[in-house]
Amino acid sequence: MIKSRRVGEKLTIYLTGEIDHHAVTTLREDIDKLLDDRGVKLLELNFADVEFMDSSGIGMIIGRYKIMKARQGQVSATGLSDNLERIYRLGGLHRIVPIDDNGGKNEQ
Amino acid sequence: MNSNTMELSFLAKSENESFARMVISAFMMQKNPPLSLISEVRTAVSEAVTNVIVHSGSEKAVLRAAYSDNTLYIEVEDYGCGMEDIQLAMEPFYTSKPEQERTGIGFALMQSFMDGVTVSSFPGSGTLVKMIKCMNI
Repeated sequence: MIKSRRVGEKLTIYLTGEIDHHAVTTLREDIDKLLDDRGVKLLELNFADVEFMDSSGIGMIIGRYKIMKARQGQVSATGLSDNLERIYRLGGLHRIVPIDDNGGKNEQ
Repeated sequence: MNSNTMELSFLAKSENESFARMVISAFMMQKNPPLSLISEVRTAVSEAVTNVIVHSGSEKAVLRAAYSDNTLYIEVEDYGCGMEDIQLAMEPFYTSKPEQERTGIGFALMQSFMDGVTVSSFPGSGTLVKMIKCMNI
């Protein structure tokens, strides 16, 4: 199960562990179940406890971005380590899912 | 000269993506490189192995690694469908499987994180990805 927190229209998802092709199969389903709630307009993905992510994780984030965009919602990313941020930027993801440095580790 | 080699053959199942990452990390630990360097190689290997599992249709994947002094050599090989057009496959953001939320940046990440990447592919018989990384310790 994934850890999440809902405050008003904002849903924060606390991602953990290793986000690879194997992990995204179930992770995607878990997140999409939470997004079935159409009242969610802001999705924050918190990466503070993510130990590893590769391009499969980038694909998963873009997929969730499309879901939120279809309902005029927004997605942001917090708690990215330097290494994750590098992968994130190489994937061009920062252009559509902004990195919010105010969130992240301390917020938990 | 300080050198070593390893070879690992495993089923091309997604469960083995993390296994392959663990193996390459453990092998590199013998040289005690900086963690950031291990992290880069781990990502490149993960991308190559994921390509085998997602695209090749190969039953097995093979991971080989060797170091000689401070140079690390890695090979990821499969015996699957191969690629007709390697250049197209390596083009950033090109993917043959957009419906599966594939991004097409796997090869770009390998090239960014490693010091050299070469791909040879034979349609119908498989693909071999060779990567080099300088381990400046």
